[in-house]
Amino acid sequence: MRNETIVELVDVWKVYRMGRRRRIEVEALRGVDLRVPRGEFLAVMGPSGSGKSTLLHIMGCLDRPTEGKVLFEGRDVSRLRPVALARIRNRRVGFVFQSFNLSPTLTALGNVELPMVFAGVPRRKRLARARELLARVGLRERERHLPSELSGGEQQRVAIARALANSPDLLLADEPTGNLDTETGRGVLSLLSEANGEGVTVAVVTHDPEVAAAAARKLRIRDGRIVGDDDA
Amino acid sequence: MMLDFLRIAVRGLLHRKKRSWLTIIGILIGITSVVALVSLGTSMQLAVRRSFEELGYDVMMILPGELGGGFGGPASLGASFEIDADALSEVEGVGEIGLMSYESLYVRAGENEGFLDTLGVSENIFSFFKVEMVAGRGFSPGERGAVVLGVEVAKELNLDVGDTLEIEDRPFAVVGIYSADSRLDEDAILIPLPDMQALLGTQGVSMVFVRAAPGYEVGKVATRLEEFLYESRGRRDLSVQTMEEVHEVVQRALGILGAFLGGIAGIALLVGGIGVMNTMYTAVLERTREIGVMKAVGARNSQIMLVFLLESGLMGLVGGAMGTGIGALLNFAAVTAAKAVLGARVLEYGISWWLVLGALGFSFLVGAFAGLLPARSAAKLDPVRALRYE
Repeated sequence: MRNETIVELVDVWKVYRMGRRRRIEVEALRGVDLRVPRGEFLAVMGPSGSGKSTLLHIMGCLDRPTEGKVLFEGRDVSRLRPVALARIRNRRVGFVFQSFNLSPTLTALGNVELPMVFAGVPRRKRLARARELLARVGLRERERHLPSELSGGEQQRVAIARALANSPDLLLADEPTGNLDTETGRGVLSLLSEANGEGVTVAVVTHDPEVAAAAARKLRIRDGRIVGDDDA
Repeated sequence: MMLDFLRIAVRGLLHRKKRSWLTIIGILIGITSVVALVSLGTSMQLAVRRSFEELGYDVMMILPGELGGGFGGPASLGASFEIDADALSEVEGVGEIGLMSYESLYVRAGENEGFLDTLGVSENIFSFFKVEMVAGRGFSPGERGAVVLGVEVAKELNLDVGDTLEIEDRPFAVVGIYSADSRLDEDAILIPLPDMQALLGTQGVSMVFVRAAPGYEVGKVATRLEEFLYESRGRRDLSVQTMEEVHEVVQRALGILGAFLGGIAGIALLVGGIGVMNTMYTAVLERTREIGVMKAVGARNSQIMLVFLLESGLMGLVGGAMGTGIGALLNFAAVTAAKAVLGARVLEYGISWWLVLGALGFSFLVGAFAGLLPARSAAKLDPVRALRYE
């Protein structure tokens, strides 16, 4: 039976040690409890430095909590080795970033292919899937272009196609419209909603009220704690 | 699978074309010097082997002093000694015997005069050396007052068969002119040994060539000869060298020279390797964010390491391929020049398959090895920090 909770955080703390001799402790998350059901569209909001991105990274197995448990599809991943976490990120999670973060050396097609390369998908299958995804985000004709030859909106659409490459269960976006004008932002938002409509769980860190309005559930974070949750 | 990572690595290199090429040039210079110097060593060894093969391995030399003690060979090479050739020919297994004595003598031919290397030889000496008579003939048995010239010296002194020259104020008639493989051997003046001994007022020779009789093993004949010399002379002032022994000594010396030159070239390669390391560290720093992204989309540490190792290895390989080509061209040019200036067979082409494959493999390894630490630091980056890197 499919687990109805995709990711669950139980009393998660994240403490960064910074500065010389790592003496300064910064508590990015302070005892976060969160359950994200499969298929949800979740917006995470809050002032900068509140721990939103850290929360997203931990949900996506990009980072491990200092304390507490992270259950990904029911399995505790908080103490997994890097190689196991990499595998989960590769097969189950897609990331979209504010600054697009495409590989500057690869074409649009190459960027969308990248997660499938790391997954060991055969070339023929990979190319077909990458072209299908580029067509879906409306960039089929731009597949040979390098990121430097694409506009911001186009780059972000390539990034979404890349995030969807290995058909993830969870799509995580960190301020995906933050660097885009309103109109372009809307296009990106509709792509996220479209993915959510197909059953992909989406969590978006955002300041953008339009993005927040599209989300079914809004989470407010301040000083590393959840201070508001529609669902609670 | 591997091909995909190779493609990513190539993309990375092409993206910073100028820097990649500069780094490749570093490796190129290193490999060029390694290949050029190692092949030069091989060229010399091949040439030496060839000349020994032409002399024949059934030939022994009797020389004053000891050979094989070190680099220098016999301490008293060139010193003159007396020997009874008839008694020598009685030793079991001894075939033909050739005698040679050499000295710098005062030679005058028309306007030209000066000290020139002169060899006094038994008339059968041409059976020991590969020379070709281009005019006239060799010595006939018992002939006196005749001279045979190398083509070089004949040209220099403007002499032809039938002309006369004076050696130490005695007239000699030119009866033959020979050419040899190497121009170095073409500037000798040959006269009958008895004439030489008369000019010098001694009965001495500088070197004796002995050919083992058919069916006899050279090594055993050499041992018997040494015993005979010791018994008849009462001391070990002469040594018998087989061509194989002499060849070995020369090869060893050339081998050491080659290793020494290769070592110097290795330093250039090391510098090239450090260049690769530097470039790769810079690349890792520059692409920190990209590495973070690769990790975010699920690249394992080992896969990231592979991408960077392939990049540095490729730089090594490209530099190595070009360096091998240039090194081979240099060898070709050096050998061709040597043949043009000094005559054939002074050097042989020294590029072999093992050298080419070895140089290619080695250059890839140097590149990959230099990339090891940078690649490791790339693989070990914390993805969250890498993503935040500006």
